[in-house]
Amino acid sequence: MTMPLDATRQAPASAGQSREADLAPAILEASGLTVGYGAPPPIVAGFDLTIRRGEFVGLLGESGCGKSTAAYALLGLARPPGRISAGRVAFKGQDLLTMPAARQREIRGKHIGLIVQNPRGALNPMLRVGRQIGNVWRAHNAGSATRAEEHAVEMLKLVGINDPKRRTEAFAHELSGGMAQRVLIAIALSSTPELLIADEPTSGLDVTIQAQLLDQMWQSTRRTHSSVLLITQETGIVANYCDRVLVMREGRIVEDMTAAAYRRAPRRSLLGAGNKAKTLATPGEDDQAAPVLAVDHVSRFFPVPGSTKRVQAVSDVSFDIAAGETLGLVGESGSGKTTVGRCLLRLIEPSEGRVLYRGEPLNTLGKTGMRRIRSKLQIVLQDPYDSLDPRWSILQTLSEPLKLHTDLSGAGRAKRVEELLAQVDLPKTVAALRPRDLGSGALQRINIARALACAPDFIVLDEPTSVLAPAARTSLVELLLRLQAELGVSFLFISHDLTTVSQICHRIAVMYLSQVVEVGTTEQVFRDPQHPYTRALLASHLDPHPEERRVDRAVQERLAGEIPSPIDLPKGCYLQSRCPHAVERCATEPQKLVRAADGRMLRCWRVLADELGGSDIPLVHDA
Amino acid sequence: MSSADFTLIREATVPRLRRLRGHGLTIVAGLVVLAILLLAVIGPSISPFDPTVADAEPFLPPPNLSAWPGLLWAALSGAGTPVHWFGTDASGLDVFSRVISAPRTDLSIAVLANGFALLIGVPAGLLAGYFRNWGTETLMRVSDVLQSFPVFISAMILVALAGQSTVNIVAALAVLYSPIYVRLMRAEVMTQGARGMVEASRALGSSEVAIAIRHVLPNSLGPTLVQSSVTIGFAILLTAGLSFVGAGVRPPTPEWGLMISNGASGIMLGQWWPSVFPGIAISLTVFSFAALGDVLERAYRS
Repeated sequence: MTMPLDATRQAPASAGQSREADLAPAILEASGLTVGYGAPPPIVAGFDLTIRRGEFVGLLGESGCGKSTAAYALLGLARPPGRISAGRVAFKGQDLLTMPAARQREIRGKHIGLIVQNPRGALNPMLRVGRQIGNVWRAHNAGSATRAEEHAVEMLKLVGINDPKRRTEAFAHELSGGMAQRVLIAIALSSTPELLIADEPTSGLDVTIQAQLLDQMWQSTRRTHSSVLLITQETGIVANYCDRVLVMREGRIVEDMTAAAYRRAPRRSLLGAGNKAKTLATPGEDDQAAPVLAVDHVSRFFPVPGSTKRVQAVSDVSFDIAAGETLGLVGESGSGKTTVGRCLLRLIEPSEGRVLYRGEPLNTLGKTGMRRIRSKLQIVLQDPYDSLDPRWSILQTLSEPLKLHTDLSGAGRAKRVEELLAQVDLPKTVAALRPRDLGSGALQRINIARALACAPDFIVLDEPTSVLAPAARTSLVELLLRLQAELGVSFLFISHDLTTVSQICHRIAVMYLSQVVEVGTTEQVFRDPQHPYTRALLASHLDPHPEERRVDRAVQERLAGEIPSPIDLPKGCYLQSRCPHAVERCATEPQKLVRAADGRMLRCWRVLADELGGSDIPLVHDA
Repeated sequence: MSSADFTLIREATVPRLRRLRGHGLTIVAGLVVLAILLLAVIGPSISPFDPTVADAEPFLPPPNLSAWPGLLWAALSGAGTPVHWFGTDASGLDVFSRVISAPRTDLSIAVLANGFALLIGVPAGLLAGYFRNWGTETLMRVSDVLQSFPVFISAMILVALAGQSTVNIVAALAVLYSPIYVRLMRAEVMTQGARGMVEASRALGSSEVAIAIRHVLPNSLGPTLVQSSVTIGFAILLTAGLSFVGAGVRPPTPEWGLMISNGASGIMLGQWWPSVFPGIAISLTVFSFAALGDVLERAYRS
């Protein structure tokens, strides 16, 4: 059987892509497109766009700027009560908006594919995915059901799914998010469309999976010579995959430039000027001093109800944190980093191992002893609004720890609350407000102030910046750096945001699937990552690079497949099934965290035996 | 720097009552509920006749509609004799006086029953939702068993067993309505208990009991209080129902269900007024409490 792909339409070399695209004929042209939902102003107003054949175009904009509405309108669709009130969309010269509905449907699906944001919601839960891919193909091509099945297998292979024959038998709920998104791409590509519109296809996926998927999409569309309109909020994605970048604001395209120009343009970056080193305080210089907190072979598993199996959330994690130091704990979702943070404070009891606070093991402490130490060990949670009592004023909230751990009178507490607010740069009038009156940046400051109330030595920061807007994120990082310099407090900074981690941390521990795989200084980990997972994680970090795109370089540090389930962990190295460097021995030999020659800790025998050589990842950040 | 993310959200501070505006039905329901509450307090003292003393002809029909304006004027200006607005029943009791005096009986039974149901259900639900162990699971199964019987039948049996008195009616209704609150409270406590504020407070060193009472309980009461309005409405209906079948309050206490029951036999003879007026009163009341509950729920969710 033949691939439904035209073998003669070979993709041109990617280097000359943008120049060639300029000469290629336009596939889709939109002019003056206006979509409104009832009351003015329209969500999309006077939207103009041209996509040429073979072009990979990024449409960048903040949430709510009308990206998705515009994308649907390009297909002649509008979500009720929305209505396309003006403008013209021409697909290869034919007006898409005025043509008969039957002809419109033919173009949609056959010539223009759409990938939506929520992959599992977009798949039919009642049909096997093979049928769904086949159905779309049969809607536009004459062919038998068997032929459609074969086609589905081909398509799944094209989007890089292992064992595609078996996967065609799967239902949507049996697929992981990344896998479901691939199936959607397969559906969209199944009729070899000339244009693919992808609406934030990787939102909600982990970084290594996101990179894997975008790489695959890039390759697949280059092979089918399709044009792509990729809608996203992430500058990193457009900078690393696209030929051309359109920036949308308030329903209009405000910038249109080549990706190369975009990358070189002064960064309207998420993070302002990277001003890391200048404020990062040096932790205690005395190496002999006992660490504030030592984590000693901590494991935590959760029983699976109705089964003898267990979920391994944390396995054998060890590290320590010195006074005034920030240790970054990075890893993808589900890697166990949050559980580690909870175990440190005994908010979750470790199943094995111990945590020592200034040499005193916490797990042997009774209730009163633990309560005493609670004032010294604090936590700031991810969602600032969720972690405050909505019925309590800020004064009440900040007084709670003072009531528990000090003998201050009411007036004394009010005074201390004022000090705390000043410490986190909030006006004292905030004390009378309730959480709903404040924005998330201010709320996170309140959370930090509450954690600081009893002058702790150590604070777990559990993704404190993840729900904040970029500006608030920057100012919170500055605040944390200042607080550390002033108070000498130690932080465990849990995050998957590598950019923030690189700005605030002295050392970094990388977690993968319940284990710590590498611990080193920020310098060591970011400049010269050693463990294959760390390498892949940094390589997946789609930070705009001024010179080149991820797709232009030969990326070797790429993981394959899916993250294994924490219930059935692999026998040998946990990364073995995805690792590009795996050899036979990796499958059988469990890996131990061992100190390497340069002082960092590593969990990979091949790196320790110096079998891998250096990595070729271009530096993500300049320190 | 910090002023950028220091935003006041104005919309959320709009007074709750203003959000209720623009709903005609809501206003009507609210007015009816207010009127019933008012009548429960002053009803017996403003009724033109003693609601429990029969001193008129039986089965006097209400005055003709056309005569009402004149009679109203006379009554308001203090002239003329008291009128039997809704006629009189088989014993010669004034129906109007009994209709406006009945809320004191019906509403106090309903409100008390609801209050006791809350007193049982809220702590039990808090326990069951916050401390989940075999003990609280047993509690939930007991509450499931209670809920599995039809409320009306159970109420009849309980009152029949314990003896026909107001106290027993209140007790029976309280026991039968408490499982609703246990369930509602437990569900809400489980949601609130999973919030970061609980974990944050735990990390500060608060005891579990303190967290449950100071953080979780106040934040979980909303749906329960909303449900109260609906429950009071249904409790009024149930009280009336019990009297209707003879298991409720005893005559001659003014009570709507009792009045409907007593007047039912006369309907076939064209004597509709002893039953229809209390019937309208019950319908309006139950509907209004339910509508108010609905509005409160919407206000709570938004």
